[in-house]
Amino acid sequence: MRTQGTVGRRSLLKVAGGSAAALGLTAAGCGTGAGSGDGTVTLRYTWWGSDDRAQRINRSIALFEKKYPKIRIRTDFQPYADFWKKFNTQASGGNTPDVFQNAIGFLRKYDAKNVLLDLREQVEQGNLRLDGFRAGLEKFGEVDGKLLGVPVGSNSMALVVDRTVFTRAGVAPKPGWTWDEYHDALARIKERQGRAGDAGPYGIMYLYDLYLRQHGKAFFTTSGLGFTEADLTDWWTRGFERVRSGVYADPKRTIQAKPRSAVTAGLAACEFTWDNFTIRYASEGRSEYGLAPIPTTDGRRTGQYLGSLMLSGSRRTKHPREVARFIDFMVHDPEVGRIMGYDRGVPATTAQFEAYAPGDPVGKQIAAYEQQLVASRVLEPITPHPAGADVCEAAFLRLSEEMSLGERPVPDAVKRYFTEAKTALSV
Amino acid sequence: MDAAVTSVPAPAPRPGPDSPPDRGTAGAGPVPGGRPPRPPGRAGRSRRARRENLAGYLFMSPWIAGFLLLTAGPMAASLYFAFTDYNLFDAPRWIGLDNFTEMFGDPRWRTSVEVTGWYVVIGTPLKLAAALGVALLLDQSRRGQGFYRAAFYAPSLIGASVSVAIVWRAIFSDGAAVDRTQQLFGLEAGGWIGDPDRIIYSLVALTVWQFGAPMVIFLAGLKQVPRELYEAAQVDGAGPWRRFWSITLPMISPVLFFNVLLETIHSFQIFGSAYIIGSQGNACGPADGTLVYTCYLYIQGFENSRMGLASAMAWMLLLAVALVTAVLFWSQRRWVHYEEAGR
Amino acid sequence: MSLARTGARTGRGHRTRNAPRTGAAGRVGSVAWHLGALAVLAVVLYPVVWVLGGSFKPNDEIVGSLELFPTDPITDNYRRLADGIADIPLTTFFGNSLLLALGSVIGVTVSSSLAAYAFAKVGFAGRGLLFTLMIGTLLLPYHVLLIPQYVLFQKLELINTYTPLLLGKYLATDAFFVFLMLQFMRGLPRELDEAARLDGCGHLRIYWSIVLPLCRPALITSAIFTFINAWNDFLGPLIYLNEPEKYTVSLGLKMFVDQDGVANYGGMIAMSLVALLPVLAFFLAFQRHLIDGMATSGLKG
Repeated sequence: MRTQGTVGRRSLLKVAGGSAAALGLTAAGCGTGAGSGDGTVTLRYTWWGSDDRAQRINRSIALFEKKYPKIRIRTDFQPYADFWKKFNTQASGGNTPDVFQNAIGFLRKYDAKNVLLDLREQVEQGNLRLDGFRAGLEKFGEVDGKLLGVPVGSNSMALVVDRTVFTRAGVAPKPGWTWDEYHDALARIKERQGRAGDAGPYGIMYLYDLYLRQHGKAFFTTSGLGFTEADLTDWWTRGFERVRSGVYADPKRTIQAKPRSAVTAGLAACEFTWDNFTIRYASEGRSEYGLAPIPTTDGRRTGQYLGSLMLSGSRRTKHPREVARFIDFMVHDPEVGRIMGYDRGVPATTAQFEAYAPGDPVGKQIAAYEQQLVASRVLEPITPHPAGADVCEAAFLRLSEEMSLGERPVPDAVKRYFTEAKTALSV
Repeated sequence: MDAAVTSVPAPAPRPGPDSPPDRGTAGAGPVPGGRPPRPPGRAGRSRRARRENLAGYLFMSPWIAGFLLLTAGPMAASLYFAFTDYNLFDAPRWIGLDNFTEMFGDPRWRTSVEVTGWYVVIGTPLKLAAALGVALLLDQSRRGQGFYRAAFYAPSLIGASVSVAIVWRAIFSDGAAVDRTQQLFGLEAGGWIGDPDRIIYSLVALTVWQFGAPMVIFLAGLKQVPRELYEAAQVDGAGPWRRFWSITLPMISPVLFFNVLLETIHSFQIFGSAYIIGSQGNACGPADGTLVYTCYLYIQGFENSRMGLASAMAWMLLLAVALVTAVLFWSQRRWVHYEEAGR
Repeated sequence: MSLARTGARTGRGHRTRNAPRTGAAGRVGSVAWHLGALAVLAVVLYPVVWVLGGSFKPNDEIVGSLELFPTDPITDNYRRLADGIADIPLTTFFGNSLLLALGSVIGVTVSSSLAAYAFAKVGFAGRGLLFTLMIGTLLLPYHVLLIPQYVLFQKLELINTYTPLLLGKYLATDAFFVFLMLQFMRGLPRELDEAARLDGCGHLRIYWSIVLPLCRPALITSAIFTFINAWNDFLGPLIYLNEPEKYTVSLGLKMFVDQDGVANYGGMIAMSLVALLPVLAFFLAFQRHLIDGMATSGLKG
């Protein structure tokens, strides 16, 4: 034991030296947007996603660095929740990455905090092209005349259905079907297949937004909520009744099935989600899944719009020109389009859209779905998202869950929601 | 001899008359925060005191540097934030006690207090009981002890990961192992994960399952119990139960105290497991079923960008835990048995 | 006095307490003991076995599955790990984690034992106040300290280095370990250092030659706990490291699943088991000293 102790101590000392060296050495070469003597510029680029996305992005970056040898891209990525935790910490410390992935709910939030770079100037200087976007997507990242994000790929709300169950129940979704027809179909599925029809649409903010838009309203106005307590009471009351009657899945079971979706877990025959998320269904479940149209109120208007993930720049970046060039490359370069595929939605620019033809059935379906949306001219401009929208979305999800579980009566949940939303939107 | 873990000093209350007597030599005072040691002679006193002070602060210098550099500043900052409106980006704005008023009036805050209180009250004793139970089982010279120790410690190595979240769902859902066991005993069936009122018990189960650290400390304590005491008791005809209550428990009470104190503090601060197991869709759900205190603090601070409010919550928690800690330190006089250390 | 008494009874080979009795009764007792221990172990290890079984299941059979073992075991989950994660070989993650964990172990054992020695053995003025402050640092949830600390390290230009993750370890900021060691040092027979003092030894000498060797069990306990904590730490590396090449295993583990894409649960579960191996090895290597050592603390001077 004595000798062991000595050996241990010696090797520990070696490690101590090693870690001390690491302390010193790694201190070099950090700091955001560092430039070096030969004019090389380094940009930090961060996003959320899993390793598959990271591999695609790494390959795209390699192309970019080949084309622009004087610009180096340093990457960093996490899953969604961790990404925003880290982003918040870094941004509040004034250490925002030069370029980062962004979503609509965060545009106003971080604009209000002076985090986002207005890319308009770079467009005017010709470093970032805004032409060649599909279906007016270039407008998506505009807030009060500022260009705060550039779309990378479009997506839209859709209804994902378990085709086998639908077919067996003898129901078929069709464009323009109404909510009544939709719920009749769900009831029939419940009756004939003994499975809940829908996983529970009452808590999906983006779906309720579509429903409101069908009625000439919207979830958000530029500064607050675009609906009344009576509207929400109606929406949730009906939702709760359908949970009780079994037309919507038992929330207790859908909760415990997570992270699997209720549809692939066999608890419901369909659910509303973003069309580009459907890639997951095929890998998670064993049935056959397809995309169906959003039900309407008047037989025509779905309220849909094309949304998108975006690339944003930091207002603190020392290299706005390089940031613009990088974003331009990532959204326009056809080769990047081929590499990225539909990973972040259907490519936003025509050049990338045409460069990549999906070979897999899911990709083909998504492409067909969105093309049909564009062709049928149902698309509308997006609802603005005020600062605090992300908090409103979380509260909507949570309170609808409490309501559906019977933990909180509907009127109580509605009241609570308006209280919380008011706080969130005033911060 | 001294028990492995002996007299634990109180931060607030002064040691009572029962605590071990001072030895009268500098440096031997058993209780930091106790009376200053009384050195022998007047002339020697100041020189010796100076030397002791110098040595003390030299030895403490890494800690003091760390405290001043890394801890004190951020702690003071958070105390200041507690009285401000601070959204992480704009300069904090002084708002007095508003954060505290809002906090006390917030039903979700009260939920988080209830959930945490429940977790602490149930989880801590169960975890310590499991740790002590297994430690008693392993405190025997049997074959394969190393294997058993490692095997019982293995769950504690895993921490709170997504894998654990998935396994927990596979164990505590409808029709899974726990549900079937419940049915076997004729208990009301149903999974815990989807039930906001019961999911907290799956968190309790997780912390109980990871009992490795207190177990190791208990094992060490058990090894210190003098064997003669058991022999004497056996001669007197005391049964195993009696021996446990009148010998084992008093003898390891200092270790027990150490474990109770630290497990209680940790339980109050539970975050990772609630966040990982409860957060599917929304944070620490379903329906706030796992909304433990630090989870709500995290939501307010990071998701809702209300760091001022979150800091106020943190300091409220600090006060509560400090109070519990003080009560524990005070109570040890009644139930923690310290050996006179053969003096 | 007490030293002699306890020395006699706890020396190696003298520990006969609860030793199995010889003979038939002893054998029955032994079998019963093992059966009992294994029964408890079965319950405790059930989740671990589930993870093990899950790592051999195809991706779509993992989440929500109630089965312990796959019907048709596959090894793809492990084989795909060989390709690394996000273009980074696994060895990078493991190397980084190992460097951090071992670096932390050294920092914590050295700095905490120094502070603990001062609390336990040196009668300096202000000891009580410092002790109260130290316990106080245990009580504040780390989330509110996160941003002030981040800002601090950023001002020091230490972001994206391992310094923020290690510095605190070298400055004894984790009061748990100071407290733990303090408890052990108080348990040491006072006669030893008093004798050394009479011989004219200074504090440094007593610390190094008497207290530290006697406290080896406490050091090993702290080393093991530190290693595990550092290995599993997620928040620190998440906030402070900005390059995948510097990522640790705990960050790598999170790369398999994201809301936007196809979740690779199989890979994640397999990786979580592989990630467990170094920690398990560390524990196995030291556990003997951990417990036997603790028992003899202060008695083998």
